[in-house]
Amino acid sequence: MDGWGYVLLAYGIVWTALAIYWLNLRKRRSRAEAKLAEIESTGRAVTHG
Amino acid sequence: MTVTEPKRRRGILGLLALVFILAGLYFGLVKAPPDAYQGDVQRIMYLHIPSILTAYLSFFIVFVGSCLYLWKRERRDDILARSAAEIGVLFTALTIVEGSIWGRPTWGVWWTWDARLTLTAVLLMIFAGYLMLRSLIEDEERGAVAGAILGIIGFLDIPLIHMSVYWWRTLHQPPSILRPDKAPWENIHPAMLIALAVNFIAFLLLYFYLLSLRMRVGESEAKVQRAILEGAA
Repeated sequence: MDGWGYVLLAYGIVWTALAIYWLNLRKRRSRAEAKLAEIESTGRAVTHG
Repeated sequence: MTVTEPKRRRGILGLLALVFILAGLYFGLVKAPPDAYQGDVQRIMYLHIPSILTAYLSFFIVFVGSCLYLWKRERRDDILARSAAEIGVLFTALTIVEGSIWGRPTWGVWWTWDARLTLTAVLLMIFAGYLMLRSLIEDEERGAVAGAILGIIGFLDIPLIHMSVYWWRTLHQPPSILRPDKAPWENIHPAMLIALAVNFIAFLLLYFYLLSLRMRVGESEAKVQRAILEGAA
């Protein structure tokens, strides 16, 4: 592999890993917020019921 | 639906990070000249140096968050420490991968048990252990205290990593830019220094964006847990 091959390998791994982590964080946030909204709506339903 | 102020600030930070990442790619891959000795492989340094400095910053935040948690017992400090530990582990792992890819054509090996490399691997193990510990202890309070103690001890590895190139005869070179005898612009080509600075700013902006997002995840998860506990009581 020539110099550019190593450079592209390093840049490819770094930016792919960071993009995957970012997407994963967004997914975790959506999941947690959806669960929280579900609990809050259930709580309200119980309170008003 | 209205956009909340923290969400808007996070969006601006993310956008700024993206602009600097693209600028960093341009300066690092196009504008900066190849190194006289290493050739194009040296361009990996525009990722490697910002990655490890960001990881150090992240573990410093773990250290501060852990100290504050042990002192005040506020949940927010623990969320800060835990979030910073997770991102710090990612940046440390990336630093090792980048260093390994750079080392193969430059040193002739993917890995060597050099003092700085070994201590960086130890740092990664300590904080990977921190994350495992946090996920294994179910009691949040106990987990937070154990994590805070490990976070403080783990941070002490960083001065050792920094000084290792002076204390031992290592394959890893001492600092090339931040040297006591010369100003940074006297050590490397200005175009290389600009590429490094732009990439460092990009990593810092990305880091604070990810930290803000990770803390939001932690806060939401904590609220869910509290609501479940209150419901069970």
